[in-house]
Amino acid sequence: MELTKKPLRTREMVAIVFMIVGLKGGDTTPALFAEHAQNAIWLGPIVSFLVLLAPFLVLMYLLKKYKRFNLIELTFHLIGNKAGTILGLLLFASGFVALSTDMRNVVEEINYLYFPNSPTIAIYIIFISICILIANKGWETIGSLTWALLPVIVLTILAVLIVDMRDAVGYRIFPIFGGGADVVLKEGISKSSAFLEFLLLPIAYQAFHQPKNFRLGIYTGGILSCILIVSFYALYTMMFDYNTINNIAFLYQESTEIVTLGHFFTNISTFFMIGWLFSSFLRFIIYLYIICWIFGAIFEIKRFEGLLLPIGFISMMLSLIPPSFAVNELIVRETSLQIITPLFLIFPFLLWGAAFWKDRKKT
Amino acid sequence: MRQFILILSLLQLAMILSGCYDRKELEEQAYVITIAVDKTDRDNIFRFTFEIANPEVGSSATTPSTNEPAQEMISVLGTDFLSATSTANSSVAKEITLEQVRVVIVSEKLARSKEFIHLMQSAPSTVDLKLNAQLVISKEKAEEFVRHNSPNLESRPHKYFQYMLDRARETGVIPDAPLVRFFQITEGDADLFVAPYASTVKKPKDSYGDEDSYKAGEIDFHGGNVTQFMGSAVFKEGQMIDSLTGEETRYIHMMDPTFPQQVILSTFVDPLEPEYNIAARVQLDKVKVKIDYKKNQTSTIDVYITTHLNIFAIPSTEDYMKSQKKRKILYDSIQKEILKNGEKLVKKTQEEYKAEPFYWSLHIRKKFLSIKDYEQADWSNKIYPNAHVRLHVKVASLEFGKTLRQSDIGRVRD
Repeated sequence: MELTKKPLRTREMVAIVFMIVGLKGGDTTPALFAEHAQNAIWLGPIVSFLVLLAPFLVLMYLLKKYKRFNLIELTFHLIGNKAGTILGLLLFASGFVALSTDMRNVVEEINYLYFPNSPTIAIYIIFISICILIANKGWETIGSLTWALLPVIVLTILAVLIVDMRDAVGYRIFPIFGGGADVVLKEGISKSSAFLEFLLLPIAYQAFHQPKNFRLGIYTGGILSCILIVSFYALYTMMFDYNTINNIAFLYQESTEIVTLGHFFTNISTFFMIGWLFSSFLRFIIYLYIICWIFGAIFEIKRFEGLLLPIGFISMMLSLIPPSFAVNELIVRETSLQIITPLFLIFPFLLWGAAFWKDRKKT
Repeated sequence: MRQFILILSLLQLAMILSGCYDRKELEEQAYVITIAVDKTDRDNIFRFTFEIANPEVGSSATTPSTNEPAQEMISVLGTDFLSATSTANSSVAKEITLEQVRVVIVSEKLARSKEFIHLMQSAPSTVDLKLNAQLVISKEKAEEFVRHNSPNLESRPHKYFQYMLDRARETGVIPDAPLVRFFQITEGDADLFVAPYASTVKKPKDSYGDEDSYKAGEIDFHGGNVTQFMGSAVFKEGQMIDSLTGEETRYIHMMDPTFPQQVILSTFVDPLEPEYNIAARVQLDKVKVKIDYKKNQTSTIDVYITTHLNIFAIPSTEDYMKSQKKRKILYDSIQKEILKNGEKLVKKTQEEYKAEPFYWSLHIRKKFLSIKDYEQADWSNKIYPNAHVRLHVKVASLEFGKTLRQSDIGRVRD
């Protein structure tokens, strides 16, 4: 059956990056930034992206230099098996925690807004079962599926942008630094791991037709995601004002609820639910798969698809520990991101240093 | 065997399709269109009146033989929207949902009390209640308002309110006030919020006066429905402090750039024969506001209002169309009239309310880098009441509708 062994190309990678990072414009991440940055929430991600750029570029440079490796293999190659395992496990653990908290948020969102009478656990089990089932089909299926569903999602996003624009008031973006320039900077840096997926995705470095596809895809997708996130956050600021924005948990849904299209279409928010639901599923399918991939790579498990079930369910169990959504978002997620951030900012440089050391020893 | 398995799995599909927890049958829903809230003797207990629409009335799909009324009203006590809904369900067989609520009516008495803001705080957390519903302040008890309101031509209540608010907004005599705007302005704590003012009790003013210097209930008309939407209720820090006439509300529209741009109908004094009025459709360009902020000194606010007028009635039959000179007089007179009324309103807000309903705080925000600085400068208490406001009115164009010249009444009378 192996006609082309690695059929995925740049376009799938763009779609995957867009799905896994770009859609943070529509979940609860803006609420996380809004707490301190207030109406400068759109500056927070810019700072985060700039901060993440340096480690990310270093990592990409290393991957390009040692052509044959993915993220974990590279770690093992550069800093040895023991240290590599520890670093790999740290990466896995932080990705796992982020997966759990994010998933809980999204499930609560679905539960609270669309299925208020259902118990969380029921929705959670359905959600994660679907994610596991589809992720089980493998990376190629995920890539093609993402690409196939991209039009629906892009259409939804564009529609939301246009519809929301009607109610946006540009002046609300001022004062430009919101809670203060120092606060925005601090928030952006300490929460930059909200976009840690960038540094986990290189696990799939070898999974594309050519590594060039991966590189091109992650750059294009990254830039697109950045634009999307920043414009959405700015739009939220322009629609709600700075005091209101702090109180709203689900900005994406709320923003579609307050706009009307003339007399007839007064409740249009449900139109935008479909695309959002698709994208949420895809996002966690990809994320779950990547986490299992990392785990499999560390312990050299070839058929790591078998890990999807245990890891998915453990993640679900762990994420149900926080008593409520607010605690999960404002305490667990915020704290965990602040703890994780330094690791992600430092580890590529650590690898770089090791590579440098290795080169010197050779000569 | 294969077929058997196939049939079994198809049967399972039926189970999934039927849903489980959140299944909602259209038949079992009672759609509330209007919520009216009143103050009671006890603090923080309110009387909620739900107007439930009968979806069968007015739809072409069902047989017209139904004798059920177009709406049902039920009134209960409660502390917030959601708990009142469940209390109301003790008498309504269908499940009451607030998803289609278009109007929330609050009595003036409640709006003027301190409890009002506590009631409103429960609105955003009520999942069903959409924040694009309109807030309306009724002069009398809100329950009476809903009960008195009996439109003859538009019996479907949801359409009635929607059309009514749209029409009144078209003439600019009531503001657009979705719930979300209440929160934005109240939580921003810098501006005044205005909401439509309505009444079903007629207390007509004797004189005709200026055409729109009415508040709700003051218009003298006969026949039709008793409901009137006119003027606006002014809220400061989540509490109603005053009401404005339709004319003043129209000027708020002119000076607030965040209201959806629209065409409003208005009359002006005929400059050559002052006993007559001129009716015109006024198209407004987006108002420009420039604030020259000086710390610890008097700031200056420049407001540029540009209008395009389409005059369609000159009862005095003065020939403004052909005569250049007369047209010039008309231009000047209209500009002066808008300026005079605008300045009167600004003065009233500065001296009486000590805050403005024009959402101008947005324009000063770009002078500050962070919210802390902005809040310290204190727009509503320090800057605006002491500021020097200059209005610049410009009538950019005059159109005279579809007639070319006025008929000469003098000759007709001969």
